[in-house]
Amino acid sequence: MSKSAIVCQNVTKQYGVKRALSEFTLEIPQGRVVGILGPNGSGKSTLFRLITGLTRAEQGSIHVLGKLPGWRTNCDIAYLPDRARWYANHTVERAFRWAEQFLPGFDRATAERLAEQMHLELDMRAGGMSRGQEARLMLILCIARDVPIIILDEPFAGIDAISRERIIAGLIDHMSGGDRTVLISTHEIHEAEALFDYAVFLDEGRVLLGGDAEQLRSQYGAIHSIQQTLYR
Amino acid sequence: MEERHVGPLTFRLDLSQPLYEQILRQMSSAVARGEIALGEKIPSVRELAQALKINPNTVMHAYKEMEHVGLTETRRGQGTFITTSQERVNQFRTELAKKVIEEFLEKMGSLGYTWSDIEQYVSQYKGGCVR
Repeated sequence: MSKSAIVCQNVTKQYGVKRALSEFTLEIPQGRVVGILGPNGSGKSTLFRLITGLTRAEQGSIHVLGKLPGWRTNCDIAYLPDRARWYANHTVERAFRWAEQFLPGFDRATAERLAEQMHLELDMRAGGMSRGQEARLMLILCIARDVPIIILDEPFAGIDAISRERIIAGLIDHMSGGDRTVLISTHEIHEAEALFDYAVFLDEGRVLLGGDAEQLRSQYGAIHSIQQTLYR
Repeated sequence: MEERHVGPLTFRLDLSQPLYEQILRQMSSAVARGEIALGEKIPSVRELAQALKINPNTVMHAYKEMEHVGLTETRRGQGTFITTSQERVNQFRTELAKKVIEEFLEKMGSLGYTWSDIEQYVSQYKGGCVR
């Protein structure tokens, strides 16, 4: 039996009167590329914030690789928040140097290989980059880390088609083999769905449907059509 | 459904069906049709995943299955190759032919045709696209 990367049991998280997650139960196996899907406000980012220990649940329990979330488990997680930006005055090279010092498991050689593959020059400054170029830099800072869990919150949002393609190529190149679990939330399902081998659909802070992507395809059809049916 | 070419191979993946089954099916048809030769090297998992823009685990699943059924052989450090056994390829051709006939008969049956109707129809096509 495969081990679990993330286990949430009856988790409730409230912001004021709004329930972001409600008796939320989910188990994500290790080594999968997981699509975390759902409309805005369905609880995707709250789930990520709970996993990374940025916020705490009022009720229920969360385990990340068998441990409670906190600074220790965060060494095992590379997290790309939604709309993340980098220091405008840093070049790609300086960002990599910074990452080498501060990000556990960051591998410079991998980052440089990804930068070449994703067409980012080492002397480019973040401040002069297009949104797509900066998104590629942010992705590299995340995936060039040798950590068991990677979380990408909307990595394709507002990015040009070429950058999206390059990000997908970078992800495919880097996901081959291993026990690494990658969680990706995205609205751009069409482009990303072939990357998923596990998918979870959220709505109003609950899991509507979740499971092995190939089984979901065989039972209900394409991931994007499942989404259309669920959120009609 | 977009067509993607990888060396001598052509894939058409439909996102509404399990992807690994389609890779397996399309690879065996390519072998049965002679589009890829016996003993020829096939793309690595990573190369095929990149070309098809799909999860490498899914390609890996298909490759394991291909090896399991004897369609391919993995040589350590060299890669994955189509089987060199003509006998096995003949078996695949027969299995594929059986599947096509079964699907055809099932469809005709569901349209209400009897065996003798089918025989009669098929004989009208004699010499069509088949030698």
